[in-house]
Amino acid sequence: MASSQVVKVLIVDDDNITRRIYRTMLFRFCFEITEVEDGNNAIQQFLDGNEYDLVLMDKHMPNMDGVEATRTLRGMGIPVKIVAITDDANSKDTFLGAGADKFLLKPLTFPMLTDILKSFNFLN
Amino acid sequence: MDYVNLRRQAASLRKGLFDQGYLDEQFYQLEDLQDDASPNFVEEVVTLFFRDSARLMANIDQALDKCVKDFNKLDVYMQQLKGSCTSIGASRMKTECTAFRECCRDENIEGSHSLSILNLCMRSFQKIKREHSVLRQKLESYFQLLRQAGPVECATRPNK
Repeated sequence: MASSQVVKVLIVDDDNITRRIYRTMLFRFCFEITEVEDGNNAIQQFLDGNEYDLVLMDKHMPNMDGVEATRTLRGMGIPVKIVAITDDANSKDTFLGAGADKFLLKPLTFPMLTDILKSFNFLN
Repeated sequence: MDYVNLRRQAASLRKGLFDQGYLDEQFYQLEDLQDDASPNFVEEVVTLFFRDSARLMANIDQALDKCVKDFNKLDVYMQQLKGSCTSIGASRMKTECTAFRECCRDENIEGSHSLSILNLCMRSFQKIKREHSVLRQKLESYFQLLRQAGPVECATRPNK
């Protein structure tokens, strides 16, 4: 886990609405939330020395897509849990091959998120 | 003011939105996220949707007006719009977005054929604009009724 006790989540999605919804869901767990709009900014967060426990990663984003961002993070040796969340069902194998831990189809629901958080033991 | 009647009208309008296919299950998810900490969450998200979708649709309009045959670019815009529709449960709009993307993905875009695809895209886009306008109208009416009815209104799923 990141150094503090609070679970730190990075939301990576170019859609305002999606980020708003995820933020509201995660707020219920009192997690610390950061949002970025593309893969480039996600990478920069880690290059800046920030630590996260969980990344919610969209696929289709400008500048750098989610698969490439995932691959880059793994190449940097970043062990953060990455959950790919996209409406592109065909990208599952690509995402998992790039190093994502889980793959979910949009729209993410609160029960889906809760299940994921439990599976990673973030709700203890 | 007859708050009971206003609530009844709001409930009826809401039911109609689901029955007529304007909204799907995802809208229930938004309603479930509304609580004391985020008492206006649904309206805020819907407002955000109409703001963002208007911007995306203006980009698409501009591209189509210029007879841009960069179908990849059009597809990217439309994918973003479809994503937003999915996020709030705008079901009919989402369906029309999918249809538009099918037009863009037509493999043969050489020469005069690309013009017919462009025309198909334009027609498809007109449908999206109509659905957008109707949904906006209905949701604005719905939230106005909710505001008039006061804070007691709770989202409940219609009986199946």
